[in-house]
Amino acid sequence: MATTSDLRLTRRGFLKAAAVAGTGALLGSLAPAAPAAARAAASDAPYDRSAFSVCDMCFNKCGLIARVRGDKVVKLDPNPKFLKSRGMLCARGNAGLRQLYDPDRLRYPLLRQGERGEGKWRRISWDEALDLAAARMKEIGEKHTRCGMLFTAGSDMQSGFVQRLAEVYGSFNVTSHESLCLVSNNRGFLDTFGEVPFPDVLHSKYVVMAGANRFEALVTPDSMDLMTAMQNGLKLVVLDPRRTKTAGLAHEWHPIRPGTDMAFMLALAHVIVGEKLYDAAWMEEKTYGLEQLAAHVADKTPEWAAAECGVPAADIVRIARELAAAAPQAMVYPGRRSSDYENSTQIRRSFAIVNALLGNWDRPGGLLAARQVGLKGAFPYTAPWYDDSPPERADAGRAPIMFEEEGSFVHMREAVLTGEPYPVKGWFIYKTNPMQTAPDRQRTARMMQAMDFVVCVDIAMSDTAWMADLVLPAPSYLERMDPASGLQGSSACACVVQRDPVVPALYESRPVFDIVKGLAQRLGLGEFFDFNVEQFRVEQLKGLSDAARALAEDGVYYNPSKVYGIYEGRAHKTKSQKIEMYNQRYAELGLDPLPVYAPPAAAPGQSLRMVVGRNALVTHSSTQNNALLHELVPENTLWIHPRAAARAGVRPGDRVEVASPAGRGVLAAELTPDIREDTVYMLTGFGALSGGLSLVKGRGACLAEILESRADALTGNAAMHETFVTVTRAGAGKEARS
Amino acid sequence: MSTRSLTRHNRWDIFIHWFNAVLWLFLTATGLALIDNPAVNPLGQRWPDLWRGILGGGGNLLVVHEVAGVVWVLGFVAYLACNRRGAAFFLREVFRVSPARDIPWLLKKPVQMTLGEAGLRWLGQDPTLPPQGFYNMGQKAFAQAAVAGGVGLALSGAAMLASHLILGPGAQLLVSWSILVHYLCAGLVFAGLLVHVYMAAVAREERPGLFSMFTGTVPEDYARHHHRLWFEEVAGGPSRKN
Amino acid sequence: MKTQLAMLVDSSKCIDCKACMLSCKVANAVPDGAWRNWIKPGAAQGRLHFQPGGCMHCDTPTCVQACPTGATFKDPADGTVKIDRSLCIGCGNCIPACPYGARYRHPELKVADKCDFCAGRRAQGLQPACVDTCPTKARVFGNIADPESEAGRLYRENQSRLVRVVNARTDTKPNMFYLAATAPLDWPVEARMPSAMGLMAGATPVLRGLVGLTGLGVLAMLGRQLVAGGGRGSEESKEDAHVD
Repeated sequence: MATTSDLRLTRRGFLKAAAVAGTGALLGSLAPAAPAAARAAASDAPYDRSAFSVCDMCFNKCGLIARVRGDKVVKLDPNPKFLKSRGMLCARGNAGLRQLYDPDRLRYPLLRQGERGEGKWRRISWDEALDLAAARMKEIGEKHTRCGMLFTAGSDMQSGFVQRLAEVYGSFNVTSHESLCLVSNNRGFLDTFGEVPFPDVLHSKYVVMAGANRFEALVTPDSMDLMTAMQNGLKLVVLDPRRTKTAGLAHEWHPIRPGTDMAFMLALAHVIVGEKLYDAAWMEEKTYGLEQLAAHVADKTPEWAAAECGVPAADIVRIARELAAAAPQAMVYPGRRSSDYENSTQIRRSFAIVNALLGNWDRPGGLLAARQVGLKGAFPYTAPWYDDSPPERADAGRAPIMFEEEGSFVHMREAVLTGEPYPVKGWFIYKTNPMQTAPDRQRTARMMQAMDFVVCVDIAMSDTAWMADLVLPAPSYLERMDPASGLQGSSACACVVQRDPVVPALYESRPVFDIVKGLAQRLGLGEFFDFNVEQFRVEQLKGLSDAARALAEDGVYYNPSKVYGIYEGRAHKTKSQKIEMYNQRYAELGLDPLPVYAPPAAAPGQSLRMVVGRNALVTHSSTQNNALLHELVPENTLWIHPRAAARAGVRPGDRVEVASPAGRGVLAAELTPDIREDTVYMLTGFGALSGGLSLVKGRGACLAEILESRADALTGNAAMHETFVTVTRAGAGKEARS
Repeated sequence: MSTRSLTRHNRWDIFIHWFNAVLWLFLTATGLALIDNPAVNPLGQRWPDLWRGILGGGGNLLVVHEVAGVVWVLGFVAYLACNRRGAAFFLREVFRVSPARDIPWLLKKPVQMTLGEAGLRWLGQDPTLPPQGFYNMGQKAFAQAAVAGGVGLALSGAAMLASHLILGPGAQLLVSWSILVHYLCAGLVFAGLLVHVYMAAVAREERPGLFSMFTGTVPEDYARHHHRLWFEEVAGGPSRKN
Repeated sequence: MKTQLAMLVDSSKCIDCKACMLSCKVANAVPDGAWRNWIKPGAAQGRLHFQPGGCMHCDTPTCVQACPTGATFKDPADGTVKIDRSLCIGCGNCIPACPYGARYRHPELKVADKCDFCAGRRAQGLQPACVDTCPTKARVFGNIADPESEAGRLYRENQSRLVRVVNARTDTKPNMFYLAATAPLDWPVEARMPSAMGLMAGATPVLRGLVGLTGLGVLAMLGRQLVAGGGRGSEESKEDAHVD
């Protein structure tokens, strides 16, 4: 009995086990593979290949190594051999691959249907697009002379080709982003030293930084070197109406009254000159105008300055003495963005003058001359002459020492709107977004409306592209071959960079070189573009025998050119051939040869002064739609002091309407003691109009809409700190939307 | 003695019993091996190490356990769907408890099994055990635990599987508690399982019960003796005996 | 030579540029809304101070203590705390168990996730993404048990100044060392062991006892069976006294 049942057990048991096993196997094959295990290896897998390129998320052009898996760029790493960036890649640099893979990217040429700014587009072919553009440009040239076309190219390694087209097409009307940024700064220093200097922060022992925000507005190598130098004992004094991260990390921060930097600088000069804290022999040999300066600053006492700027007199005296003690390894940091006040150039002149007094020119820890890079011009040309050309560019004569090759966007806009001195009716825009970066957005919109034809070449549907007639898609930096470009790195390096495509260009995007070449050919100007980028580059590098190899192997070429002492035995490009603290040319032009202080305008009523500034995660108006950066900065907020907020009835978390005579916007208020009571601040680039920027359309408010159109008197540089705004409560939390 | 047989279990009962047995043992073994935390390890560190070594890692062990668990649940779904009457009968019988009969039986039986009748007398108890129905109280107690435990294991297992495959982070509380419920149910049923296996497979007096799990039938005498109330129901009682 | 991978951070160099956070996010496909590393804002002597951080790969990790399956474990080979994604069931016990909030539940993969010191990059001879990209080179990574490595040297030379940021009640012996002063110091929270997990640990002796008891009972029954004989005949239970 037992045996039989055992057998049965065995048979039955076996059958059952088999059935179970079979079912198990069947189900096992159907069960979803543990998703975790399947995807575990994805981001850990080795990179298939690496390729050099150079970042384009801001203007610094940090060398990078792109890591590729399959056909996708999956990581951007710093190039450890890139001295200018000190081998780093910042947050924006890391986010660069989301620009390449932004789903909102422009893909093919688009022709406007409906009204400007309506956002209705029709896709057309490249041939159609280029034929159309060339035809319109020809038309405008015939109707309004060649200067009827305005060309605006942003900061890019191919912008030179846009300028080439403008020249051979025959237009003098070329602007860039510079006159919305730093031309007044360049002017002030250029007119003092004869060239625009580069600060040697790494070897400095004392830096007074007025307005610049190097730990957020990253500049290579300055930002990195500043921290290194501070670790090595450099003292940093920051003057800023806001407690930026730079101000917060500095040894001293003074919440200086906006618009009074010149008073501070003149008082520094007063102390340094009055107490003879300068190197007399050096001053005698290298500078011109000490006597005049001494007389000029005799009454610019620290007490006087304190009353103007709010920095205590004792601190001004102490800082002057500390600067002088650390000299020549001391400086007033030149900064970059000087689009602030109507006397911006003269303010920078005062910075430059203090630097001159510190004797830091051409020496370690001071201001350095441009180093030799060695690139050659390629495929030189003589632009054709057009008989009917007007005598000058359209914005000429509105600012006495405007840079000829830069012009002034603000003045050009007036010329377009008024039609004076002559009509400008066409606009070729490349990689710049004046709708967001120029003050008074409504004015810029009217400028665009006044045009007969606007073509915009960009990678994304910026607000400017949104208002254009023809939008042409350009590739990102990771898809491009670019000509060589020389970079100044002060004591870090003088180098050459270039780009080769890491991945092929996506969609139908074409580099602007191809676009301008295509236009040139259709305009009968093909001879001026009878080359390709690769050939152009070969010409550029002709004088540098090792450059091609270094660029291929290291991603960068260094010219081991002189760092200090470049001006030994060399004349400055000034009238006196010395560093001109007293500017003779200004005197001749009827301008103040020494900076004359005027107090900034008082705020009308309860209004507050709006100031502009930067953030390490945002580049002007070009990065807001980047999904990675958007996660950290989804919109802008209005910095307002709690007491000022209270006066306006604004509570934490409220949304506020910010209004000026130019326009208004609604955004969230950020109550913070880190800003002066009389000042407010908001980031650039938000509140977009464009339906092609899905992450930033309508998010936050547009600063450009609120800023009034003002300009530096001398250069026409936009003056963006001269706007007073009223701040009123628009609703609690998320109630009101702009 | 009579050698007539009574049908006690049908094909589905037999299938589900052995299906359960095999899978439960496998699931218990692998489930215990899935625990690897020094504060918990019920069988020490060697058990999880052994199984992970055999299967090539904890990940494979998890898949194996999950698949077996799903198979087990599906088997039960099939059993319930295709054998509604039988399943209903089983549940009815298992949860039919008569406190007057079954509690004394449950208290006396363990004493009888360990200390014998003498033991019961020594404790001052009548050595006669109350008559039992289709299932005796011991079987019913274990079956109740197994049903409740099984449901608990199935639901908590489903929660954990869902967490592994589809649930969002909000379900963390559910899943964390599911692990505990799973562990407790398994431990509880396993404790009862030891007695069940002994009684079914080792204790001689229950041998016919074991055989019925293969043949489906039990001898009449066995039924009369061990499951008197059931015997009387189906065989008509002493008056029907011939 | 023993290997203990660790991070040494000079937080006085940190400018809160968030390059490390984005570099990590891109390199490790960290999902939206989650971060494997962070920068904590603080203050020191009236100035701003920023403290970069991430999973500290602790020596006595509370996250490991909270894991029921051993999916997260400290690997003695390199001293890092790892997550075996194929074994993790996504129960989430480990997440509140970390005093630093270093873990998150991956919304797509349904498992716990955190910094792994960029194991994939290291396998290719690259530095962890956060270390590589930092503008001020505030982070140094390496084997602190190797006195010849940069990390080992820094660790050795700064022994007296090294700061670990710990919660007063839960010191997990983190392997992220701050060189000299850092702020903020009081932000890690006490490790929270989910109550279900605690009960599971408590249940083990109870279950063992229960099974042991029934086991003993079975042995007693078996013993009786062997000693007193068995079979149906000799030991008829008196259930039905008057059977035929």
